[in-house]
Amino acid sequence: MEIKVTKLKYRYPQSKTLALNDISFEIHPGEFIGVIGENGSGKSTLCQALVGLVPHFYRGAYGGKVLITNSSNQTIEVAKVPVSKTCTSVGLVFQNPFNQLTGAKETVFEEVAYGLQNFGISKEEIFRRVEEALRLLDIEAYRDRNPFDLSGGQMQRVAIASILAMHPDIIVLDEPTSQLDPQGSEEVFAAVDRLTKTGIIVIMVEHKMEKIAKYSDRVMLLHQGRLIDFDTPEKIFSRDDLEQYGVTEPAFTQLCKKLGKTLPNGLYPVTLEAAGGLLTYGEGGLAESEAKETALKPQYAEVLKAEHLTFHYTEGVPILKDVNLTLDGRTTAIIGQNGAGKTTLVKLFKGLLKPVEGKIFFQGEDISKHTVASLASKVGFVFQNPNDQIFKTSVLDEVMFGPLNIGMRQQEAKEKALEALELVKLSDYAQENPYDMGLSQRKLVAIASILAMNPQVLILDEPTIAQDYKGKEIIQSIIRKLRAEGKTVITIIHDMDFVEECFERTIVFAKGSVLADGPTREVFAEKEILRKAYLEQPHMTQLCQALGSRRIYLTPQEAAEGFGQ
Amino acid sequence: MKSISLYTQNGSFLTKLEPFDKLFYVLASVAAPSIAGQLPAYFLPIGISLVLLIHSRLFKKALPMTVVGLSLILTVWIVQGIFSQKNETPLFHLGPVTFYQEGCLIAARIGLNILNMFFSFACFVFSTRPSDLVEDMERVGFSPKLGYVVNSVFQMVPQMTGAVGTITDAQRSRGLETEGNLLTRAKAFLPLISPVVMSALINTRERAIALEVRGFDAGLQKTFLREKTKKASSFWIRLFCAALLAGAVVWRGLTWK
Repeated sequence: MEIKVTKLKYRYPQSKTLALNDISFEIHPGEFIGVIGENGSGKSTLCQALVGLVPHFYRGAYGGKVLITNSSNQTIEVAKVPVSKTCTSVGLVFQNPFNQLTGAKETVFEEVAYGLQNFGISKEEIFRRVEEALRLLDIEAYRDRNPFDLSGGQMQRVAIASILAMHPDIIVLDEPTSQLDPQGSEEVFAAVDRLTKTGIIVIMVEHKMEKIAKYSDRVMLLHQGRLIDFDTPEKIFSRDDLEQYGVTEPAFTQLCKKLGKTLPNGLYPVTLEAAGGLLTYGEGGLAESEAKETALKPQYAEVLKAEHLTFHYTEGVPILKDVNLTLDGRTTAIIGQNGAGKTTLVKLFKGLLKPVEGKIFFQGEDISKHTVASLASKVGFVFQNPNDQIFKTSVLDEVMFGPLNIGMRQQEAKEKALEALELVKLSDYAQENPYDMGLSQRKLVAIASILAMNPQVLILDEPTIAQDYKGKEIIQSIIRKLRAEGKTVITIIHDMDFVEECFERTIVFAKGSVLADGPTREVFAEKEILRKAYLEQPHMTQLCQALGSRRIYLTPQEAAEGFGQ
Repeated sequence: MKSISLYTQNGSFLTKLEPFDKLFYVLASVAAPSIAGQLPAYFLPIGISLVLLIHSRLFKKALPMTVVGLSLILTVWIVQGIFSQKNETPLFHLGPVTFYQEGCLIAARIGLNILNMFFSFACFVFSTRPSDLVEDMERVGFSPKLGYVVNSVFQMVPQMTGAVGTITDAQRSRGLETEGNLLTRAKAFLPLISPVVMSALINTRERAIALEVRGFDAGLQKTFLREKTKKASSFWIRLFCAALLAGAVVWRGLTWK
């Protein structure tokens, strides 16, 4: 098994710039390759070029060669054979699980079997492989469910299982774990990593740098269609110009860079173990400066309150069980396993669903007396998928839609919309058609469209999906600004490092009830509770605990200061 | 997800039969009375279908449609019985209105035809999983593309209903009133329908890719997951259907004038 790419160039039809610009590399059997770069750097295009969708499906201008050698020692040039031939050797999992399902199969089992049926594999073998894939992704329990009834994270598991069952020699995964809970995404990484032991090549596009660093043998750094560097994780993440390519180092590397700690070979460590081995806590090592505890706990006014909240879609299948919760001015993250009931909870807060039992109060008032539309100006909710709301032909009109609905005048709505676009750094795109923008930008448009309505409470459902380092920075700055203005920001999220960066309070949700609730620092100290909820500690916290630190540091910055830089 | 398929999995006699056998039965039971050309000939297939439906606990599901069918037949009977051009022989009077024999016979023929077709189709539709039928069709050589289209319709309609729900929620969250008078609803139409259409277009492209990488176009001999053994019941059902048709032809011959 081998991949050999020489001088690959590609331009999408109707585009003036090259999406891939003179890329050459070789990948050897059993390698786990990480692909990093900011949005628009050509990562997804490269994935599609390896399966032959570029150029066969997308057309456009193509140059260079992609040669694939499969396990039976056949070498094919992907531009010269149909995709249906290439895909017997190369499997592709892409980001949006919803569109990866065939849409013609009624059960998870049949969905996973579909590709195998097309290849005419014997029935016994199909049953064996499907079982194996279901087990590997831990979705055996859903085998008879309709794939479209599953949550995003579970759907993503089905999509991955469907490709793994085809036993490709080369697996290309384009952000396959964006919607999975932390443990789920760790399981996927570990599962594909095991496959490399048999000689299979894994190519993984990811924004989760700690995972890339942990599992990759080599990392590809792409920028504006060019291959900037292709080397070991240590070498790539030791570069001092990463920021200009829109990527960031793993948290461990960030800390070591701040402390100036390098490995004997002069490179920075990239994994928990390597950093842990380098940094020693206590005598002769790092000394912890006296902790500066924040003084008096300020009092916060109640904003949203749930009393004995119970909810189910179908009788006998409870989603929420007697939830009592008071949300205040603090930024609050709601975390938990896929399907724990997080989205259901915020939909109830927003009045989109009616509680089966219990009551919800907004600033002391029972919300059941208001319609959803009349609550809109007070509680803003940004849906996970921006495509569910975008319908105007210009970004500005789209963002003005909400403000106009809640009774703002044209002029005021425009001002608010422009302000909101400024916040999401899309002012230059005001007249663009949102459908011409990428998913990450469309998501920012959706956030702006709610911000422009100036709500007291902003609820974000998985805001960081599809966002690169820069996008996350933008969202962070918005959250800080709203906090300073006395607004409440609530988010549902699987990105633990993002939680530690900007959320004061964290609520752990599991199986429809609150498992832990408190200041983020305290909640993340509860390793056991997090494990039960299929979560994990933020990377810096993991390192601090491994070093035996008395304090829990949440960010590399904080840890560097705490360790007496 | 609420399926739009009318199929009920209840493990009954009809659900266990092969889709094609049931299709043969539909064809035979619809064709036979027309070939025989005699009104009494309709009662046999109607009777068989009814027994099958009741025996397989599907009659309840067919009941609402039966009521619709009967009201349709009633209308036909009134119109034909009173106004048919062939009307000559008065049959009975209902107040000032006269019903004629010729019209009533025409109405009876149409009505029995409707009932017959309806009950035999019910036997088929309520007891057959659409994807099983598609698989059997592909087995005998229908194009897999056609099969995909049929199957995806059954998935896409409920899927789109779900999407409309989410989109409605998203727009209500932005202060759009979706309930109220006609004007309010008309105003809400565009913000609700555009994302549905646009998402569908975007999804179509991605789904085409998804099918492509799963070997949809591989052109190899496809494996079917359901075991296909020749069932004894198949032989007897098809024999019965043939007998029904043959009987109809004979009946027609005997009554030829």
